[in-house]
Amino acid sequence: MTTVALLRAHRRQPLLQALVLSRRSVVALLRQPTVWIPSMFFPLFFTALNSAAFQRATNLPGFPPFDSFLDFLVPATILQGVIFGAISAGTEMATDIENGFFDRLISSPVSRISILVGRLAGAAALGGAQAVLFVLILLPFGASIGGGAVTVAVLVATAMLLGVGIGGFGVALALRTGSAEAVQGSFPLLFVTLFLSSAFFPRGLMTGWYQTVAGVNPVSWMIEAQRRLLLEGFAATDAAVAVAVAAGIGVVSVGASLLALRRRLAEAPA
Amino acid sequence: MTAARTAFDHGVAGRPLAVAAALAWRNLVGIRRVPATFVPAVVMPVFFLIAFSGQYRGIVEIPGFATDNVLSWYTPMAVLMGASFAGVGTAFSVARDLETGFFDRLLLSPAARGAIMCGSLLAGAARGLITFALVTAVGLAGGAAVPGGVPGLVSLLIAALGVATVAGLWALGLVYRIKSQSAGPVVQVGIFVGLFLTTAQAPLEVITGWLHPVARLNPVSQILELARQGFLEGVAWSSTWPGLAAIGGLAAVMLVFAVRGMRTLTP
Repeated sequence: MTTVALLRAHRRQPLLQALVLSRRSVVALLRQPTVWIPSMFFPLFFTALNSAAFQRATNLPGFPPFDSFLDFLVPATILQGVIFGAISAGTEMATDIENGFFDRLISSPVSRISILVGRLAGAAALGGAQAVLFVLILLPFGASIGGGAVTVAVLVATAMLLGVGIGGFGVALALRTGSAEAVQGSFPLLFVTLFLSSAFFPRGLMTGWYQTVAGVNPVSWMIEAQRRLLLEGFAATDAAVAVAVAAGIGVVSVGASLLALRRRLAEAPA
Repeated sequence: MTAARTAFDHGVAGRPLAVAAALAWRNLVGIRRVPATFVPAVVMPVFFLIAFSGQYRGIVEIPGFATDNVLSWYTPMAVLMGASFAGVGTAFSVARDLETGFFDRLLLSPAARGAIMCGSLLAGAARGLITFALVTAVGLAGGAAVPGGVPGLVSLLIAALGVATVAGLWALGLVYRIKSQSAGPVVQVGIFVGLFLTTAQAPLEVITGWLHPVARLNPVSQILELARQGFLEGVAWSSTWPGLAAIGGLAAVMLVFAVRGMRTLTP
Protein backbone atom coordinates (compact mmCIF):
# COMPACT_ATOMS: atom_id res chain seq x y z
CA MET A 1 0.00 0.00 0.00
CA THR A 2 1.39 3.44 -0.91
CA THR A 3 2.04 6.14 1.69
CA VAL A 4 -0.85 8.28 0.45
CA ALA A 5 -3.23 5.28 0.55
CA LEU A 6 -2.08 4.49 4.10
CA LEU A 7 -2.69 8.09 5.11
CA ARG A 8 -6.21 7.93 3.66
CA ALA A 9 -6.81 4.71 5.62
CA HIS A 10 -5.76 6.51 8.82
CA ARG A 11 -7.81 9.68 8.27
CA ARG A 12 -8.67 11.50 11.50
CA GLN A 13 -5.80 9.68 13.24
CA PRO A 14 -2.96 12.22 13.25
CA LEU A 15 -0.65 10.09 15.38
CA LEU A 16 -0.89 7.13 13.00
CA GLN A 17 -0.39 9.48 10.06
CA ALA A 18 2.73 10.90 11.69
CA LEU A 19 3.92 7.33 12.24
CA VAL A 20 3.37 6.43 8.56
CA LEU A 21 5.24 9.53 7.40
CA SER A 22 8.04 8.94 9.94
CA ARG A 23 8.44 5.39 8.71
CA ARG A 24 8.55 6.68 5.12
CA SER A 25 11.33 9.16 5.92
CA VAL A 26 13.40 6.55 7.81
CA VAL A 27 13.00 3.97 5.01
CA ALA A 28 13.92 6.60 2.41
CA LEU A 29 17.03 7.41 4.42
CA LEU A 30 18.08 3.77 4.70
CA ARG A 31 17.61 3.34 0.96
CA GLN A 32 20.02 6.19 0.23
CA PRO A 33 23.45 5.24 1.56
CA THR A 34 24.89 8.29 -0.23
CA VAL A 35 23.03 10.39 2.37
CA TRP A 36 24.06 8.64 5.58
CA ILE A 37 27.48 7.20 4.69
CA PRO A 38 29.14 10.66 4.36
CA SER A 39 27.49 11.68 7.64
CA MET A 40 29.37 8.83 9.31
CA PHE A 41 32.59 8.88 7.27
CA PHE A 42 33.61 12.55 7.47
CA PRO A 43 33.19 13.01 11.25
CA LEU A 44 35.09 9.77 11.93
CA PHE A 45 37.80 10.69 9.43
CA PHE A 46 38.42 14.10 10.98
CA THR A 47 38.26 12.67 14.50
CA ALA A 48 40.87 10.05 13.64
CA LEU A 49 43.00 12.70 11.93
CA ASN A 50 42.84 15.35 14.64
CA SER A 51 43.22 12.95 17.53
CA ALA A 52 46.57 11.88 16.03
CA ALA A 53 47.63 15.37 14.93
CA PHE A 54 46.76 17.18 18.17
CA GLN A 55 47.28 14.49 20.84
CA ARG A 56 50.19 16.51 22.27
CA ALA A 57 47.89 19.50 22.74
CA THR A 58 46.40 17.69 25.74
CA ASN A 59 49.61 18.55 27.64
CA LEU A 60 49.17 22.29 27.08
CA PRO A 61 48.41 24.41 30.15
CA GLY A 62 44.69 25.20 30.10
CA PHE A 63 43.66 22.04 28.26
CA PRO A 64 40.93 20.10 30.10
CA PRO A 65 42.38 17.04 31.89
CA PHE A 66 41.44 14.49 29.20
CA ASP A 67 43.74 11.50 28.75
CA SER A 68 43.51 11.77 24.98
CA PHE A 69 42.38 14.19 22.29
CA LEU A 70 40.02 11.44 21.12
CA ASP A 71 38.09 11.64 24.42
CA PHE A 72 37.92 15.40 24.02
CA LEU A 73 36.48 15.05 20.48
CA VAL A 74 33.64 12.59 21.20
CA PRO A 75 30.86 15.24 21.51
CA ALA A 76 32.11 17.15 18.44
CA THR A 77 32.15 13.93 16.39
CA ILE A 78 28.50 13.28 17.22
CA LEU A 79 27.54 16.89 16.52
CA GLN A 80 29.27 16.86 13.11
CA GLY A 81 27.50 13.65 12.16
CA VAL A 82 24.12 15.01 13.22
CA ILE A 83 24.65 18.18 11.16
CA PHE A 84 25.68 16.13 8.11
CA GLY A 85 22.72 13.78 8.47
CA ALA A 86 19.90 16.01 9.68
CA ILE A 87 20.11 18.41 6.77
CA SER A 88 18.78 15.52 4.66
CA ALA A 89 15.36 16.08 6.30
CA GLY A 90 15.28 19.44 4.53
CA THR A 91 16.54 18.16 1.19
CA GLU A 92 14.02 15.30 1.27
CA MET A 93 11.20 17.74 2.01
CA ALA A 94 12.35 19.95 -0.88
CA THR A 95 12.50 16.90 -3.14
CA ASP A 96 8.90 16.04 -2.13
CA ILE A 97 7.90 19.58 -3.13
CA GLU A 98 9.84 19.43 -6.42
CA ASN A 99 8.40 16.08 -7.49
CA GLY A 100 4.82 16.88 -6.46
CA PHE A 101 4.50 14.45 -3.55
CA PHE A 102 3.96 17.35 -1.14
CA ASP A 103 0.99 18.60 -3.22
CA ARG A 104 -0.51 15.10 -3.16
CA LEU A 105 -0.04 15.02 0.62
CA ILE A 106 -1.83 18.31 1.23
CA SER A 107 -4.66 17.32 -1.11
CA SER A 108 -5.18 14.17 1.00
CA PRO A 109 -6.92 14.25 4.40
CA VAL A 110 -3.62 14.24 6.27
CA SER A 111 -2.98 16.31 9.37
CA ARG A 112 -0.66 19.19 8.44
CA ILE A 113 1.39 18.75 11.59
CA SER A 114 1.96 15.08 10.69
CA ILE A 115 3.85 16.21 7.59
CA LEU A 116 6.38 18.02 9.78
CA VAL A 117 6.45 15.40 12.51
CA GLY A 118 7.08 12.68 9.94
CA ARG A 119 10.11 14.46 8.51
CA LEU A 120 11.59 15.52 11.83
CA ALA A 121 11.09 12.10 13.42
CA GLY A 122 13.31 10.67 10.69
CA ALA A 123 16.02 13.25 11.52
CA ALA A 124 15.72 12.48 15.24
CA ALA A 125 16.00 8.73 14.60
CA LEU A 126 19.09 9.23 12.47
CA GLY A 127 20.67 11.53 15.10
CA GLY A 128 20.09 9.00 17.88
CA ALA A 129 21.40 6.10 15.79
CA GLN A 130 24.49 8.11 14.86
CA ALA A 131 25.25 8.92 18.51
CA VAL A 132 25.06 5.23 19.45
CA LEU A 133 27.16 4.16 16.45
CA PHE A 134 29.83 6.81 17.02
CA VAL A 135 30.20 5.78 20.67
CA LEU A 136 30.38 2.08 19.70
CA ILE A 137 32.97 2.79 17.00
CA LEU A 138 35.14 5.09 19.14
CA LEU A 139 35.16 2.87 22.26
CA PRO A 140 37.52 0.20 20.80
CA PHE A 141 39.90 3.01 19.78
CA GLY A 142 40.29 4.08 23.39
CA ALA A 143 37.53 6.62 23.91
CA SER A 144 36.39 6.65 27.52
CA ILE A 145 32.88 7.58 28.58
CA GLY A 146 32.75 8.92 32.14
CA GLY A 147 29.36 8.24 33.68
CA GLY A 148 28.82 5.20 31.45
CA ALA A 149 25.34 4.41 30.14
CA VAL A 150 23.69 7.47 31.70
CA THR A 151 26.11 9.80 29.89
CA VAL A 152 25.55 7.88 26.66
CA ALA A 153 21.79 8.31 27.16
CA VAL A 154 22.30 12.09 27.49
CA LEU A 155 24.46 12.11 24.35
CA VAL A 156 21.77 10.17 22.46
CA ALA A 157 18.95 12.41 23.72
CA THR A 158 20.92 15.53 22.77
CA ALA A 159 21.68 14.11 19.32
CA MET A 160 17.98 13.33 18.73
CA LEU A 161 16.94 16.83 19.77
CA LEU A 162 19.66 18.32 17.59
CA GLY A 163 18.45 16.15 14.71
CA VAL A 164 15.04 17.78 15.13
CA GLY A 165 16.65 21.23 15.53
CA ILE A 166 18.89 21.09 12.50
CA GLY A 167 16.37 19.13 10.44
CA GLY A 168 13.80 21.79 11.35
CA PHE A 169 15.93 24.55 9.85
CA GLY A 170 16.33 22.48 6.68
CA VAL A 171 12.59 21.80 6.51
CA ALA A 172 11.78 25.49 7.04
CA LEU A 173 14.13 26.44 4.22
CA ALA A 174 12.68 23.70 2.00
CA LEU A 175 9.13 24.95 2.63
CA ARG A 176 10.14 28.56 1.92
CA THR A 177 12.17 27.87 -1.25
CA GLY A 178 10.93 24.49 -2.52
CA SER A 179 14.49 23.86 -3.70
CA ALA A 180 16.75 21.01 -2.62
CA GLU A 181 19.72 22.98 -3.97
CA ALA A 182 18.89 25.92 -1.69
CA VAL A 183 18.74 23.59 1.32
CA GLN A 184 22.09 22.07 0.40
CA GLY A 185 23.47 25.58 -0.03
CA SER A 186 22.63 26.35 3.62
CA PHE A 187 24.88 23.50 4.77
CA PRO A 188 28.08 25.61 5.02
CA LEU A 189 26.24 28.04 7.32
CA LEU A 190 25.71 25.23 9.81
CA PHE A 191 29.39 24.43 9.67
CA VAL A 192 30.26 28.06 10.31
CA THR A 193 28.19 27.83 13.51
CA LEU A 194 30.01 24.65 14.47
CA PHE A 195 33.47 26.06 13.81
CA LEU A 196 32.70 29.32 15.63
CA SER A 197 32.36 27.31 18.83
CA SER A 198 34.66 25.36 21.11
CA ALA A 199 33.70 22.09 19.39
CA PHE A 200 37.23 21.15 18.33
CA PHE A 201 39.51 22.96 20.76
CA PRO A 202 39.15 24.39 24.27
CA ARG A 203 37.87 27.95 24.46
CA GLY A 204 40.61 28.81 26.96
CA LEU A 205 43.26 28.28 24.29
CA MET A 206 41.59 30.59 21.77
CA THR A 207 42.25 34.32 21.66
CA GLY A 208 40.64 37.58 20.51
CA TRP A 209 37.31 37.88 18.72
CA TYR A 210 37.21 34.15 17.99
CA GLN A 211 37.21 33.34 21.71
CA THR A 212 34.48 35.94 22.30
CA VAL A 213 32.25 34.54 19.55
CA ALA A 214 32.82 30.96 20.73
CA GLY A 215 31.88 32.07 24.25
CA VAL A 216 28.46 33.39 23.23
CA ASN A 217 27.73 30.51 20.84
CA PRO A 218 25.22 28.13 22.52
CA VAL A 219 26.87 25.22 20.69
CA SER A 220 29.92 25.81 22.93
CA TRP A 221 27.76 25.61 26.07
CA MET A 222 26.27 22.31 24.90
CA ILE A 223 29.59 20.76 23.86
CA GLU A 224 31.35 21.87 27.04
CA ALA A 225 28.57 20.42 29.20
CA GLN A 226 28.85 17.12 27.32
CA ARG A 227 32.61 17.14 27.82
CA ARG A 228 32.20 17.64 31.57
CA LEU A 229 29.85 14.64 31.61
CA LEU A 230 32.44 12.54 29.78
CA LEU A 231 35.25 13.73 32.02
CA GLU A 232 33.67 13.88 35.46
CA GLY A 233 30.71 11.51 35.16
CA PHE A 234 27.01 12.26 35.27
CA ALA A 235 25.86 15.54 36.79
CA ALA A 236 22.28 16.72 36.47
CA THR A 237 23.28 20.34 35.79
CA ASP A 238 25.54 19.45 32.88
CA ALA A 239 22.98 17.05 31.45
CA ALA A 240 20.30 19.75 31.74
CA VAL A 241 22.49 22.35 29.98
CA ALA A 242 23.29 19.99 27.08
CA VAL A 243 19.68 18.92 26.61
CA ALA A 244 18.32 22.45 27.09
CA VAL A 245 20.54 23.96 24.40
CA ALA A 246 19.59 21.21 21.93
CA ALA A 247 15.91 21.59 22.86
CA GLY A 248 16.15 25.37 22.49
CA ILE A 249 17.54 25.00 18.96
CA GLY A 250 14.69 22.56 18.28
CA VAL A 251 12.00 24.96 19.55
CA VAL A 252 13.30 27.79 17.35
CA SER A 253 13.66 25.65 14.23
CA VAL A 254 10.34 23.82 14.63
CA GLY A 255 8.68 27.22 15.12
CA ALA A 256 10.33 28.43 11.93
CA SER A 257 9.21 25.34 10.01
CA LEU A 258 5.63 25.69 11.31
CA LEU A 259 5.54 29.28 10.08
CA ALA A 260 6.98 28.22 6.73
CA LEU A 261 4.40 25.43 6.46
CA ARG A 262 1.55 27.82 7.21
CA ARG A 263 2.83 30.24 4.58
CA ARG A 264 3.21 27.53 1.94
CA LEU A 265 -0.29 26.20 2.66
CA ALA A 266 -1.69 29.72 2.42
CA GLU A 267 -0.01 30.17 -0.97
CA ALA A 268 -1.12 26.74 -2.24
CA PRO A 269 -3.97 26.75 -4.81
CA ALA A 270 -7.29 25.91 -3.15
CA MET B 1 30.71 33.77 -31.19
CA THR B 2 31.20 30.71 -28.97
CA ALA B 3 34.58 29.43 -27.94
CA ALA B 4 33.90 26.18 -29.78
CA ARG B 5 33.20 28.01 -33.02
CA THR B 6 36.23 30.22 -32.49
CA ALA B 7 38.35 27.14 -32.08
CA PHE B 8 36.91 24.81 -34.66
CA ASP B 9 35.16 26.80 -37.38
CA HIS B 10 38.12 29.03 -38.08
CA GLY B 11 40.81 26.55 -38.72
CA VAL B 12 42.56 26.33 -35.35
CA ALA B 13 41.52 22.74 -34.72
CA GLY B 14 44.84 21.62 -36.13
CA ARG B 15 46.73 23.80 -33.68
CA PRO B 16 46.65 22.10 -30.27
CA LEU B 17 47.80 25.13 -28.28
CA ALA B 18 45.10 27.34 -29.82
CA VAL B 19 42.48 24.68 -29.06
CA ALA B 20 43.63 24.38 -25.45
CA ALA B 21 43.64 28.16 -25.04
CA ALA B 22 40.16 28.51 -26.58
CA LEU B 23 38.72 25.82 -24.31
CA ALA B 24 40.43 27.30 -21.25
CA TRP B 25 39.03 30.72 -22.15
CA ARG B 26 35.56 29.25 -22.57
CA ASN B 27 35.84 27.75 -19.08
CA LEU B 28 37.00 31.03 -17.55
CA VAL B 29 34.18 32.96 -19.24
CA GLY B 30 31.87 30.47 -17.52
CA ILE B 31 33.05 31.81 -14.14
CA ARG B 32 31.74 35.27 -15.05
CA ARG B 33 28.46 33.84 -16.33
CA VAL B 34 27.84 31.44 -13.45
CA PRO B 35 29.95 32.68 -10.49
CA ALA B 36 28.34 30.06 -8.22
CA THR B 37 30.51 27.41 -9.92
CA PHE B 38 33.69 29.12 -8.74
CA VAL B 39 32.77 31.04 -5.57
CA PRO B 40 33.08 27.97 -3.27
CA ALA B 41 36.67 27.47 -4.46
CA VAL B 42 37.50 30.85 -2.89
CA VAL B 43 35.02 31.04 -0.01
CA MET B 44 35.77 27.58 1.39
CA PRO B 45 39.55 28.04 1.74
CA VAL B 46 39.06 31.52 3.25
CA PHE B 47 36.57 30.06 5.73
CA PHE B 48 38.95 27.18 6.42
CA LEU B 49 41.75 29.68 7.05
CA ILE B 50 39.71 31.81 9.47
CA ALA B 51 38.09 28.85 11.24
CA PHE B 52 41.21 26.73 11.66
CA SER B 53 43.48 29.58 12.66
CA GLY B 54 40.89 30.77 15.21
CA GLN B 55 39.89 27.34 16.48
CA TYR B 56 43.39 25.86 16.68
CA ARG B 57 45.23 29.00 17.76
CA GLY B 58 46.68 27.05 20.72
CA ILE B 59 48.47 24.37 18.66
CA VAL B 60 51.44 26.63 17.95
CA GLU B 61 52.22 26.44 21.69
CA ILE B 62 52.89 22.69 21.44
CA PRO B 63 56.64 22.15 21.98
CA GLY B 64 58.33 21.47 18.64
CA PHE B 65 55.75 23.31 16.53
CA ALA B 66 57.34 24.91 13.49
CA THR B 67 56.05 28.47 14.06
CA ASP B 68 54.32 30.60 16.67
CA ASN B 69 52.10 32.25 14.05
CA VAL B 70 49.05 30.09 13.37
CA LEU B 71 48.16 32.05 10.20
CA SER B 72 51.61 31.36 8.77
CA TRP B 73 50.92 27.68 9.38
CA TYR B 74 47.45 27.54 7.85
CA THR B 75 47.66 30.08 4.96
CA PRO B 76 49.67 27.79 2.62
CA MET B 77 47.36 24.87 3.44
CA ALA B 78 44.31 27.02 2.64
CA VAL B 79 45.91 28.10 -0.65
CA LEU B 80 46.51 24.48 -1.63
CA MET B 81 42.95 23.60 -0.69
CA GLY B 82 41.68 26.42 -2.91
CA ALA B 83 43.95 25.26 -5.72
CA SER B 84 42.60 21.72 -5.47
CA PHE B 85 39.02 23.03 -5.59
CA ALA B 86 39.99 25.12 -8.61
CA GLY B 87 41.31 22.08 -10.47
CA VAL B 88 38.31 19.98 -9.50
CA GLY B 89 35.90 22.74 -10.53
CA THR B 90 37.23 22.65 -14.06
CA ALA B 91 36.62 18.92 -14.23
CA PHE B 92 33.03 19.49 -13.11
CA SER B 93 32.64 21.83 -16.10
CA VAL B 94 33.74 18.89 -18.25
CA ALA B 95 31.11 16.75 -16.49
CA ARG B 96 28.45 19.31 -17.44
CA ASP B 97 29.73 19.26 -21.03
CA LEU B 98 29.47 15.48 -21.01
CA GLU B 99 25.89 15.65 -19.74
CA THR B 100 24.82 18.29 -22.27
CA GLY B 101 26.53 16.62 -25.23
CA PHE B 102 28.99 19.47 -25.89
CA PHE B 103 31.90 17.16 -25.11
CA ASP B 104 30.73 14.74 -27.81
CA ARG B 105 30.92 17.61 -30.29
CA LEU B 106 34.46 18.30 -29.16
CA LEU B 107 35.42 14.65 -29.64
CA LEU B 108 33.90 14.66 -33.13
CA SER B 109 35.98 17.70 -34.10
CA PRO B 110 39.50 17.28 -35.48
CA ALA B 111 40.97 18.72 -32.27
CA ALA B 112 43.67 16.62 -30.60
CA ARG B 113 42.46 14.78 -27.49
CA GLY B 114 45.50 16.02 -25.59
CA ALA B 115 44.62 19.62 -26.45
CA ILE B 116 41.10 19.15 -25.08
CA MET B 117 42.52 17.87 -21.79
CA CYS B 118 45.14 20.63 -21.70
CA GLY B 119 42.35 23.20 -22.07
CA SER B 120 40.80 21.94 -18.83
CA LEU B 121 44.15 21.90 -17.05
CA LEU B 122 44.99 25.44 -18.22
CA ALA B 123 41.64 26.67 -16.92
CA GLY B 124 42.29 24.87 -13.62
CA ALA B 125 45.69 26.54 -13.33
CA ALA B 126 44.14 29.95 -14.06
CA ARG B 127 41.47 29.35 -11.43
CA GLY B 128 44.21 28.22 -9.05
CA LEU B 129 46.02 31.51 -9.69
CA ILE B 130 42.92 33.45 -8.64
CA THR B 131 42.46 31.43 -5.44
CA PHE B 132 46.21 31.77 -4.69
CA ALA B 133 45.99 35.56 -4.95
CA LEU B 134 42.81 35.93 -2.89
CA VAL B 135 43.56 33.42 -0.13
CA THR B 136 47.16 34.61 0.27
CA ALA B 137 45.92 38.20 0.49
CA VAL B 138 43.48 37.25 3.25
CA GLY B 139 46.22 35.37 5.14
CA LEU B 140 48.68 38.26 4.89
CA ALA B 141 46.00 40.78 5.87
CA GLY B 142 45.21 38.63 8.92
CA GLY B 143 48.84 38.65 10.05
CA ALA B 144 50.61 35.73 8.34
CA ALA B 145 54.35 36.35 8.13
CA VAL B 146 56.50 35.46 5.10
CA PRO B 147 60.11 35.42 6.29
CA GLY B 148 61.02 33.77 2.98
CA GLY B 149 59.93 36.92 1.11
CA VAL B 150 59.14 36.84 -2.63
CA PRO B 151 60.85 33.44 -3.19
CA GLY B 152 58.59 32.07 -0.47
CA LEU B 153 55.50 33.35 -2.25
CA VAL B 154 56.82 31.97 -5.56
CA SER B 155 57.30 28.51 -4.03
CA LEU B 156 53.72 28.69 -2.69
CA LEU B 157 52.50 29.65 -6.17
CA ILE B 158 54.36 26.73 -7.77
CA ALA B 159 52.88 24.34 -5.19
CA ALA B 160 49.39 25.76 -5.79
CA LEU B 161 49.63 25.37 -9.57
CA GLY B 162 50.98 21.85 -9.11
CA VAL B 163 48.11 20.88 -6.80
CA ALA B 164 45.55 22.43 -9.19
CA THR B 165 47.00 20.30 -12.00
CA VAL B 166 47.18 17.06 -9.99
CA ALA B 167 43.67 17.56 -8.55
CA GLY B 168 42.35 18.46 -12.01
CA LEU B 169 43.81 15.30 -13.54
CA TRP B 170 42.39 13.15 -10.71
CA ALA B 171 38.95 14.70 -11.18
CA LEU B 172 39.11 14.45 -14.99
CA GLY B 173 40.05 10.78 -14.75
CA LEU B 174 36.95 10.11 -12.65
CA VAL B 175 34.64 12.39 -14.64
CA TYR B 176 35.66 10.74 -17.94
CA ARG B 177 34.75 7.37 -16.43
CA ILE B 178 31.56 8.30 -14.54
CA LYS B 179 30.45 10.81 -17.22
CA SER B 180 28.36 12.96 -14.90
CA GLN B 181 28.57 15.42 -12.03
CA SER B 182 27.66 12.57 -9.67
CA ALA B 183 31.42 11.92 -9.65
CA GLY B 184 31.58 14.84 -7.22
CA PRO B 185 31.55 13.00 -3.88
CA VAL B 186 34.22 10.49 -4.97
CA VAL B 187 36.40 13.32 -6.27
CA GLN B 188 36.01 15.31 -3.04
CA VAL B 189 36.75 12.34 -0.79
CA GLY B 190 39.98 11.71 -2.72
CA ILE B 191 40.98 15.35 -2.42
CA PHE B 192 40.23 15.59 1.31
CA VAL B 193 41.96 12.33 2.13
CA GLY B 194 44.99 13.28 0.01
CA LEU B 195 45.28 16.75 1.52
CA PHE B 196 44.62 15.93 5.17
CA LEU B 197 46.52 12.65 5.61
CA THR B 198 49.64 14.80 5.64
CA THR B 199 51.31 17.42 7.79
CA ALA B 200 48.28 19.64 7.07
CA GLN B 201 47.35 20.03 10.74
CA ALA B 202 50.67 19.70 12.54
CA PRO B 203 54.37 19.19 11.80
CA LEU B 204 55.64 15.62 11.56
CA GLU B 205 57.52 16.08 14.87
CA VAL B 206 54.21 16.78 16.66
CA ILE B 207 52.02 14.14 14.99
CA THR B 208 51.57 10.89 16.91
CA GLY B 209 50.18 7.40 16.26
CA TRP B 210 49.00 6.00 12.93
CA LEU B 211 49.06 9.39 11.19
CA HIS B 212 52.83 9.82 11.62
CA PRO B 213 53.96 7.13 9.12
CA VAL B 214 51.06 7.96 6.77
CA ALA B 215 51.94 11.67 6.68
CA ARG B 216 55.64 10.89 6.29
CA LEU B 217 55.01 8.67 3.25
CA ASN B 218 52.29 10.80 1.65
CA PRO B 219 53.94 12.83 -1.13
CA VAL B 220 51.47 15.67 -0.55
CA SER B 221 53.37 16.37 2.70
CA GLN B 222 56.38 17.26 0.52
CA ILE B 223 54.21 19.62 -1.54
CA LEU B 224 53.03 21.22 1.71
CA GLU B 225 56.63 21.68 2.77
CA LEU B 226 57.36 23.37 -0.55
CA ALA B 227 54.32 25.62 -0.04
CA ARG B 228 55.04 26.42 3.61
CA GLN B 229 58.79 26.95 3.61
CA GLY B 230 58.58 30.67 2.87
CA PHE B 231 56.02 31.16 5.65
CA LEU B 232 58.12 29.37 8.26
CA GLU B 233 61.69 30.38 7.35
CA GLY B 234 63.72 31.03 4.21
CA VAL B 235 63.45 29.10 0.97
CA ALA B 236 65.96 26.25 0.70
CA TRP B 237 66.64 23.78 -2.09
CA SER B 238 66.42 20.90 0.41
CA SER B 239 62.76 21.83 1.06
CA THR B 240 62.05 22.63 -2.58
CA TRP B 241 63.16 19.63 -4.63
CA PRO B 242 61.12 16.98 -2.75
CA GLY B 243 57.99 19.06 -3.35
CA LEU B 244 58.77 19.49 -7.04
CA ALA B 245 59.47 15.76 -7.35
CA ALA B 246 56.18 14.96 -5.59
CA ILE B 247 54.25 17.24 -7.97
CA GLY B 248 56.00 15.66 -10.97
CA GLY B 249 55.39 12.11 -9.77
CA LEU B 250 51.76 12.63 -8.81
CA ALA B 251 51.05 14.54 -12.04
CA ALA B 252 52.54 11.69 -14.08
CA VAL B 253 50.42 9.05 -12.31
CA MET B 254 47.25 11.16 -12.56
CA LEU B 255 47.97 11.94 -16.22
CA VAL B 256 47.98 8.22 -17.01
CA PHE B 257 44.74 7.87 -15.01
CA ALA B 258 43.10 10.75 -16.90
CA VAL B 259 44.31 9.69 -20.35
CA ARG B 260 43.03 6.14 -19.82
CA GLY B 261 39.74 7.62 -18.63
CA MET B 262 39.48 9.75 -21.74
CA ARG B 263 40.04 6.69 -23.91
CA THR B 264 36.88 5.16 -22.42
CA LEU B 265 34.90 7.99 -24.04
CA THR B 266 35.81 6.98 -27.59
CA PRO B 267 35.22 3.57 -29.16
